[in-house]
Amino acid sequence: MNVPAKRILVVTAEIVLLVLVLLLIIGPMMSLFIWSVAHRWYWPNTLPQEVGFEYWKQALGMRTSLAIGAISIIPAFLLSLTIAVVVVIISMLIAIPAGYALAKYRIPFGAVIMFLFLMPNAFPQQPIFVNLLRVFTRWGLSGTVQGVVLVHILVGMVFGVWITSATFRSIPNYLEEAARSVGATRLYTFFHITLPLAAPGLLASSVFVFITSLDEFTGTFFIGLPFVSTLPMTLYSSSGYNMQFASVIAIILLIPSILFMTLIQRVLRAEYVGGMG
Amino acid sequence: MQAKSTVRRGLSLPPYLLLIFPAVTFMVLMYGYPFLSSILRSFINPQGEFSFENYGKTIDLYLKDIGFTLAVTVLSTAVSAVLAILLAVYLRLRQNSISRALAALYKIPIFIPFVVVAQMMNSFLAPHGILNLALAKLNVIDLEHPLQLFNFYGLTFGFVWKMIPFSTLIIHGGFQMIDNSYIEAARSCGAGLGRVITRVLIPMNRSSILVALVLVYSQIVGTFTLPYMLIGGKIPTTITVDIAHRINYFRDFGVANALGVFSYLLVLITAVYYLRSSVRKMTGYQASEG
Repeated sequence: MNVPAKRILVVTAEIVLLVLVLLLIIGPMMSLFIWSVAHRWYWPNTLPQEVGFEYWKQALGMRTSLAIGAISIIPAFLLSLTIAVVVVIISMLIAIPAGYALAKYRIPFGAVIMFLFLMPNAFPQQPIFVNLLRVFTRWGLSGTVQGVVLVHILVGMVFGVWITSATFRSIPNYLEEAARSVGATRLYTFFHITLPLAAPGLLASSVFVFITSLDEFTGTFFIGLPFVSTLPMTLYSSSGYNMQFASVIAIILLIPSILFMTLIQRVLRAEYVGGMG
Repeated sequence: MQAKSTVRRGLSLPPYLLLIFPAVTFMVLMYGYPFLSSILRSFINPQGEFSFENYGKTIDLYLKDIGFTLAVTVLSTAVSAVLAILLAVYLRLRQNSISRALAALYKIPIFIPFVVVAQMMNSFLAPHGILNLALAKLNVIDLEHPLQLFNFYGLTFGFVWKMIPFSTLIIHGGFQMIDNSYIEAARSCGAGLGRVITRVLIPMNRSSILVALVLVYSQIVGTFTLPYMLIGGKIPTTITVDIAHRINYFRDFGVANALGVFSYLLVLITAVYYLRSSVRKMTGYQASEG
């Protein structure tokens, strides 16, 4: 085969690959979008016979009609948002000092402590939620927002600790030592030298914990049901019988995760996803 | 405050103790305790005595589901690894506008939560969903007999869809650490594309491929949302769905915990590998800085 022909073949193959990947990634998302605007869609029509934003308006609380079986998701959205904000504040208050200590001190039994923080990534978490349910039922925490917040902190904090500790580790020790050598106290050094340098990493970590809480399903399912209806729980409970409404919620949950993806694109490393340190 | 004053009095409490105390306490109570309890409770029968009853029941009722979980996990892990390696190799070796577009595109699903993936797959893979409609338009299938995908295959498709981007991210990161000179050296010795991939790129990137495999495998074993929303209580289903049924319908913590222990056993090898390599890496960091 001569060179230009081979070149054309390679480029064609690349374009086919691109289109295939595009279809595979966008296809399921398109499916959500079409369902979210489908008023009437009967088999075997390829596209809905009647489209409109009725379900969106219902979900966003702009209209109330009992005809299409949709409800406003505003309460669930606000609940999810409140839980996520509380979870971020508490987990970061706990995770920042721990991440700092793990990065900057030689801790006796350090390996054991790291082990404890790595376990949730290594083993399935569902049995943990099951056993927390047993304990929480005894303490009157199951089916409460407080119980759900505690579980979300558990899920988010593990990532929080690893990302903050990686951030602190990336700040060279000599900067702190320089400040200390001219008389700054440990606290002053932390707040005026280390913290500003770590701010971007800590912010990324907070956003990550926020998204994790917003999307959390399994823990909320065991601890929160049937009384705590976060957004993912509302999606789950409408998924069986109201395809349109479930699709609307799914798209609303899709937006923050894709936004986060595009924002963090440049600094994205495996540890943000899989908790690898 | 109190701790600070004891420091001044010379009892010398190391500062890291205060810093790490809240996190460790939280993890011991909220993770360590339920983890141990999940193992211990699996040996306690409904009468509160020590026995293997729960395991007997689990094997009687759910052996097939344990096999199903293992099969779905192994297949999904293998398929995502192969496709991720191919995509990462392509992204490493080609530098043009198409490969850059692909590099931006493939990452989109990384942070999409499983609950949304499940809803997507619910409509995408449905008997009259977009996939079947598209395949019918292409005359691949007859719409009177659409592909039934709320089973092993659909579940595998969902996992692969979600896991390829994540594996590609890790594996491509590893490929980027390999200097061009190795590839050029192999090429100048007459190695074709196939040999460059199998003799240079993959062997030099073994560790990140292994990490991707380990993380994908253990994550799939523990995933509840996707199988629960996609195939639910149909038989066979995954361990995670069985655990939820045991709890929701029977409040049977014994069998649920025995199932949980089986899911621990499924990830035992990957967990040991992950924990060992992570702790070693961390302590390595500390030693080099301390």
